[in-house]
Amino acid sequence: MKTFKASNYMRTPVATIGKGATLKEAVRIMIEHKTNGLVVVDADNRVAGILSSWDMIQHLVPDYLEEDQHLAAFEAAAKFKERVTELADDPIERFMTKQVHSIHPESTLMEAAATLSEFRIRQLPVVDDDGYLVGYLNRTDIKKAVAEILGIDPQ
Amino acid sequence: MDPFIIAVIIFLATYAVIISEKVHRTVVALTGAVLMILLGVVNQHKAIEGIDFNTIGLLIGMMVVVGIAKDSGMFQYVALQSTKIAKGKPIRIFLLLGVITAVFSALLDNVTTVLLMVPVTLVIANNLRLNPKPFLISAILLSNIGGAATLIGDPPNIIIGSAANLSFNDFLFNVGPIALIVTVLTSLMLFVVYRKELKTADKGAAKTFLKFDPRQAISDVPLLKKSLFTIAVVLLGFLTHGATGLEGATIALGGAALLLLLTMNDPEKHLHEVEWTTIFFFAGLFVLVVGLEEVGAIHILAEHLIAWTHGDPATTTYALIWGSALFSAIVDNIPFVATMIPLIQNIGELTGIPLTPLWWALALGADIGGNATLVGASANVVVSGMAEKEGHKIGFLEYMKVAVPLTVVGLIACTIYVGIRYV
Repeated sequence: MKTFKASNYMRTPVATIGKGATLKEAVRIMIEHKTNGLVVVDADNRVAGILSSWDMIQHLVPDYLEEDQHLAAFEAAAKFKERVTELADDPIERFMTKQVHSIHPESTLMEAAATLSEFRIRQLPVVDDDGYLVGYLNRTDIKKAVAEILGIDPQ
Repeated sequence: MDPFIIAVIIFLATYAVIISEKVHRTVVALTGAVLMILLGVVNQHKAIEGIDFNTIGLLIGMMVVVGIAKDSGMFQYVALQSTKIAKGKPIRIFLLLGVITAVFSALLDNVTTVLLMVPVTLVIANNLRLNPKPFLISAILLSNIGGAATLIGDPPNIIIGSAANLSFNDFLFNVGPIALIVTVLTSLMLFVVYRKELKTADKGAAKTFLKFDPRQAISDVPLLKKSLFTIAVVLLGFLTHGATGLEGATIALGGAALLLLLTMNDPEKHLHEVEWTTIFFFAGLFVLVVGLEEVGAIHILAEHLIAWTHGDPATTTYALIWGSALFSAIVDNIPFVATMIPLIQNIGELTGIPLTPLWWALALGADIGGNATLVGASANVVVSGMAEKEGHKIGFLEYMKVAVPLTVVGLIACTIYVGIRYV
């Protein structure tokens, strides 16, 4: 019987992006892979960060509108396009999540679920003993495992 | 080693590190304060006695009240409303926003004022397709000028008022009028400097923007009512505290308690919003100055100053305005004022000259002098930081080119005013 550990439920290959990429490249890769989360890796395929559409959205909103949310309603409509154009070449290192929580392929799904829940995160890179990225778990994968236990047909 | 030398070394070293900005000023001030005790300059009892808890209480109280009130959107509403009153005309909006900044700053701390005004200013400038820089420079200048007008407008005034027992009305009727005059003068000069740049606005953009209803900025009507009520009570408390004998901290903390009770909000969040780094910075400074006082260093400094001005009240007053302005343009005005207070008290004891004009001279010089450079006051640093983030970096010299002449004119006006009224 299949045990409930990360390596059995993680997805491979992982949608990754290089550390030196720009916002524009990140968006292109996300669209291509139909995903909202990318694992940022360095030249050795070690995890350097996580980049989600959420990180990008936060980067897109100027600080002065974050302090005063109800002000955003008054901002000029053209500002959105201007911001996107301005930020297109920004290196992703500037706004990716650098503090990455990851798990080991041998970790249990409970540990993975607990990590996702404790830190309220959506993606969990699976990293081997030497720090190399081997897979990737997200909420959908946990949900699939739950469905399997409950005997719900994946189709 | 002689406690005198120890105290002077700690004091100078602390100030040097604060000016260098290598370590956070609060950490430096706290370290210096603790060293004053550890190295035997003062004991803990004296050190704590030296902390002016009236100043600290007033600051905390106001921070809590404003922290809750700003969530109602009332300040943004007023700023947005100005674009309607000005009918979308850029130069009118520019001047009106300046005046609003000055008025807010007279009632709120300068940094709080610019934190509220800069975001809404950027939104207005973006909508009208205008360069936001003139607006940002105007916000710096007028927040510091408006802050000079009242006891609660600028931290140096709070410390001076608390130490010299000057009431809200004392400030309002003595420095209020000159703050108003300097506001008008500065606005006129800003008009002259920027009128060409702010002439052309995108008419279509202005039209679209004017369709907005500023009332949308008010996010919480019940909170707005409670906040306005509390602010009214606090203001009434300040306007009458000369008669009631209530001190600033009682009034401000009373306001904080009242608004927390009215909103039934979780106090945890609002107490988190208190700028504790500022509060601890003040506490550290007070202890540092006590150390210097304790060993007689302030007394010696006062004697030198008197020898230099021959104890002449007029010379001392004018020297204080311009000296304070010069210092405040270069270093943060709070440590400067904290040190000057016992110094002025010593001058009073030694010469018997009336101190009140000297307090006004100190307040005006320190508050308005801070306008001359981008590092002269906390509000300046905050605005230039926000401007840089939004891609409108204000250059150090670029700022001075506009600010120095305006500051000098403001200070000349202050000198004439103080000369006519008090000397």
